[in-house]
Amino acid sequence: MEVDSGYLQHQRLPNDAKLEDVEALLGLSGTSLDKQSLTQPIPTAEDKWQLLPAFLRVKGLVKQHIDSFNYFIEVDLKKIVKANELVTSDIDPGFYLKYTGIRVQMPERVDPDAANRSITPHECRLRDMTYAAPIAVDIEYTRGKHRVIRKSVVIGRMPIMLRSARCVLTGRNEAEMAEMKECPLDPGGYFVVRGTERVILVQEQITKNRIIVQVEKGTMVASVTSTTHERKSMTYVTFKNDRLYLKHNMISEEVPLVVAMRAMGMTSDKEIAQLIAGVDPLYLEMLAPTLEEGASSKLFTQRAALDFIGAKTKAGARRFGAPKRQPHEDALDALANVVLCHVPVNGADFRGKCVYIAMMARRVLQAVGRKEMADDKDYLGNKRLELAGQLIALLFEDLFKRFNSDLKINIDKVLKKPNLAQAFDAYNQLMCHGDLITQGLTRAISTGNWSLKRFKMDRAGVTHILSRLSYISALGMMTRISSQFEKTRKVSGPRALQPSQWGMLCPADTPEGELCGLVKNLALMTHITTDDEEEPIRRAAFALGVEDAALITGAELHAQGTHIVFMNGLILGIIRSAQRFVRQFRVLRRSGRIPAFVSIYIDDHRRTVNISADGGRICRPLIIVEKGQSRVRDEHIQKLMAGKLQFDDFLRLGLVEYLDVNEENDCMIAIYPNEIKPYTTHLEIEPFTLLGAVAGLIPYPHHNQSPRNTYQSAMGKQAIGAIAYNQLNRIDTLLYLMVYPQQPMVKTKTIELINFDKLPAGQNGSVFVMSYSGYDIEDALVINKSSLDRGFGRCQVMRKFTAIVRKYANNTHDRIIGPPRQVDGTIPERFALLDDDGMAAPGTRLENGQVYLNKQSPVDGGNDINAGIGVGGAGAAAVEYRPTPLTFKYPDHGYVDKVMITTSESDQTLIKFLLRQTRRPELGDKFSSRHGQKGVCGIIVQQEDMPFTDRGIYPDIIMNPHGFPSRMTVGKLMEFVASKAGAVKGELQYGTCFGGSKMEDMCRILVENGFSYTGKDYVTSGITGEPVGAYIFNGCTYYQRLKHMVADKMHARARGPRAVLTRQPTEGRSRDGGLRLGEMEKDCLIGYGASMLLLERLMVSSDVFEVHVCEMCGYIGYKGWCQMCRSSKSMVPIKIPYACKLLFQELQAMNIMPRLVMEDI
Amino acid sequence: MSSQAQYGVQKSMTGVKKTGSQMSYLCAACAKPTEIKPKEPIRCHDCGHRILYKKRTPRMVQFEAR
Repeated sequence: MEVDSGYLQHQRLPNDAKLEDVEALLGLSGTSLDKQSLTQPIPTAEDKWQLLPAFLRVKGLVKQHIDSFNYFIEVDLKKIVKANELVTSDIDPGFYLKYTGIRVQMPERVDPDAANRSITPHECRLRDMTYAAPIAVDIEYTRGKHRVIRKSVVIGRMPIMLRSARCVLTGRNEAEMAEMKECPLDPGGYFVVRGTERVILVQEQITKNRIIVQVEKGTMVASVTSTTHERKSMTYVTFKNDRLYLKHNMISEEVPLVVAMRAMGMTSDKEIAQLIAGVDPLYLEMLAPTLEEGASSKLFTQRAALDFIGAKTKAGARRFGAPKRQPHEDALDALANVVLCHVPVNGADFRGKCVYIAMMARRVLQAVGRKEMADDKDYLGNKRLELAGQLIALLFEDLFKRFNSDLKINIDKVLKKPNLAQAFDAYNQLMCHGDLITQGLTRAISTGNWSLKRFKMDRAGVTHILSRLSYISALGMMTRISSQFEKTRKVSGPRALQPSQWGMLCPADTPEGELCGLVKNLALMTHITTDDEEEPIRRAAFALGVEDAALITGAELHAQGTHIVFMNGLILGIIRSAQRFVRQFRVLRRSGRIPAFVSIYIDDHRRTVNISADGGRICRPLIIVEKGQSRVRDEHIQKLMAGKLQFDDFLRLGLVEYLDVNEENDCMIAIYPNEIKPYTTHLEIEPFTLLGAVAGLIPYPHHNQSPRNTYQSAMGKQAIGAIAYNQLNRIDTLLYLMVYPQQPMVKTKTIELINFDKLPAGQNGSVFVMSYSGYDIEDALVINKSSLDRGFGRCQVMRKFTAIVRKYANNTHDRIIGPPRQVDGTIPERFALLDDDGMAAPGTRLENGQVYLNKQSPVDGGNDINAGIGVGGAGAAAVEYRPTPLTFKYPDHGYVDKVMITTSESDQTLIKFLLRQTRRPELGDKFSSRHGQKGVCGIIVQQEDMPFTDRGIYPDIIMNPHGFPSRMTVGKLMEFVASKAGAVKGELQYGTCFGGSKMEDMCRILVENGFSYTGKDYVTSGITGEPVGAYIFNGCTYYQRLKHMVADKMHARARGPRAVLTRQPTEGRSRDGGLRLGEMEKDCLIGYGASMLLLERLMVSSDVFEVHVCEMCGYIGYKGWCQMCRSSKSMVPIKIPYACKLLFQELQAMNIMPRLVMEDI
Repeated sequence: MSSQAQYGVQKSMTGVKKTGSQMSYLCAACAKPTEIKPKEPIRCHDCGHRILYKKRTPRMVQFEAR
């Protein structure tokens, strides 16, 4: 160690000259450092938060999905095709088919006779279609003796992510968006598959191709998950009984490390010792038992070691017909291609792999006895996030390979025929398989089942339906990260908040309960990287003085003062002056010579320099600080606000850079400009960005108890409000809309950034904090009836009902007919609303039980495909129909909002009804403020009975003060005061985290306008007319109406439907089910001794059944006849539960004979 | 199922059958009224768009303002 103590070694001399050169290069030298001002304290840019909206325009929140998908479409797709470009034939050696190019076109409709080929996502949603674009390939193949080239052959359709490079919405302005019936504020990043919006959630995984050292079952283990395009495998180096072993799934037992190294051609003990231990006597001593075991194994040659390992190698599935291999060949193959498969082996040169294994061994030895040298799996730098693009790439690769192998089989089949009439054209074969890729992709996305045989991957629930409950819930879903850990595990590690999550993942937004801490959300400024090209970076590293690992012995590798350089987890070489190397590397990156998302950091404990350019790392932008001064100045911000600079220009000018978690750990980041010290390297853009989009709605969250912010993060997604600008054009299964949504009086910067003020979910209510009526206990709210009349909390519920006019195999089809007439020519009440076309028109009021679509289906032949064809004409002549109408099933009335008639992709008529109900708040409806303070409406009071201030201010809501002491939501009190002040003065206030309007200013506004600075006012009781005995704290608070409404939940049943099998009452509100007297309730009654009550509840009110039992044989018989005894002598009627009778019969079916023995009681 | 069903069935069978005269619908793209006969493909005669909306009811609708 050169310099031991902490941060000092991280100081980096700013290389001004170089940066200025870069600026000059870019023609922006005027903006660079002012020489004079360097000597004086410079006022740092006050509006540096303006960088945030600029950032969100190019990156952040949903952009990672889009970037990842774009990367797949533009880069990964081409790579996949390149890797699988050739299709040959086993029959005709002269035949080949080669893919020379691939591209995804713009979304197109499948409808062949459409004039306008382009399709909008909105039309796909309405018509239950898939928003997909043709995948076109260029091919080159042989037809007979000729070579044929065909361009743009469509091999399938790729679902297109909204707002991606291939989406029709990209780059459109608001007017064009409106033209396409699309909301300009919609984030995109999801797919429309078969009419439903589906999101591929971000998946969190442990990083691949990196060494992770951990204690497992008491032994120190270094493990690596190697992944290449072909395979995935796990390799371990363990430390057992003071000896090192190599472990791998392909090899049945642990192999002594030295033997493994010898098998890879490293037969010299000295070389092995040097690679692992260098010249350090401490490590050499620890290594001694391992070497000794190697010596005593008597396997001194490579061949001997290979034979030894080969005997233990599980022979992989050998290709059919291939000759059986010798054990040593098996071993060599396994070591070369399976063990640590991500480390390249050139021919028989195993040296790279040996060095890698030695590195693993060294890491184990380092960690033995020193726990702090082991890695932390929960550390965010050891995690990678898998995005839509990567998941689809995996899927596409699998499908493409299958497509090609199917193609090959079919080509072989044709070529096998002895003499073809005409020259074989592979193009026709190619066209036959059109559906494989399309189907595979749409099915995976619409079901969420990702099953890839190659990687033994079988994941369910990868995609989810985009929740459109509110704008926030949709946005929250796009930033969600699901973890691959099983939730049953008791360990708290993966669930705990990791310090490295700072600024990357939101500390507040996680669900409660079993998924707590496993489902996370991205913070506002995070970006997830995509793969960068390795080769240029490698060349840059060598140019900066890295010595190639292939040229170095172990002694040099671990020499004092040198650092080992890793590139994406692979050993690149060594560097003797790591500090300088890293500094220069960063200068190159800041000047744009190296991609911005490549990270580099020094690991002092392990004396390594790590360069990462792989995808899935979480990173965020920070302002660069040099010589104790922020690189971003006022002039930059002014240019930014004037639109002369964009965020990417800041990046290019070296004012701002992206840091990933690992590099962040290698930097000194000041949160505020006044905290900048000489050793500071970076400055936060804005501290409130450590919260995510959903937690960002909370005003003054830094004054709340932390769980309250978590509760609000969960509840904010249930708030009813505006969903999108196109909300009235959408036909969703269930849509809650608020009638008069308002933007909050106390906003936050986040609210403006994510456009919550344009699509709000809630209303500002006048709130008094006092006790009133006794109907306000347990967080219940008292609501002003006049406020409800004025529209407070009013919402609309829109529900979709779909009917498909089906065609059946026997030539019959559903029909929709006008209302039936009675003999006197009148229309029955229940059909009264139907028009001549059998549908109710928009605007019609529907009551319970009324028919709004009079559909009929054929009685026969419906689902039975075989029945049809032969009978043929049956459809034409006398088809019997049974009514299958759609009836309105809700107790309250509703209206038909919209009726849409269209055809789906499969050319079936599709009719969608949108039914609307308007709901004013009623007793039991749920409300919440933005501080995790939820409550139900406890009583609705006439305004005349409500308390009022001397200015005549009435509350909309009265809240019980008991809600405050235990919850400690001080932020809510502050919101009260701030929004009261805002309302009084007529301006909006800010409650941004770590900032916002100051309480002192708010109180001053109140005083200036004749209110008390405490927020309390004199109040007169509306009931007695006397003054209330205390000053009442009142103000204005943003209240959200939550989706839980009594109208959707109320349920009671006296008699009703029963299940067919058991004859017990059905279960659930939707089936008009009974209310269950469960096990625990049963126990209460038993304990109390109410046996007759029990009997009534469990039998009489449920499934009582009278059976006749024969007293002689104990069997159940007929009334007055026992078939068993052939007698009518002793039949007794008894009442038993039907389920009990069922049990007896089932037992009899199993040859068990239950007998009933009768007795008098 | 659908592939088999297509034999012998007119492609344009919608199944919308009415007793009286043909009904008029509004095109979602050009908002022009389009008359559709039963068994006719659902398509705007004017612009060819395939989504049609039903017209608002001519009956009087009375709302209770509460």
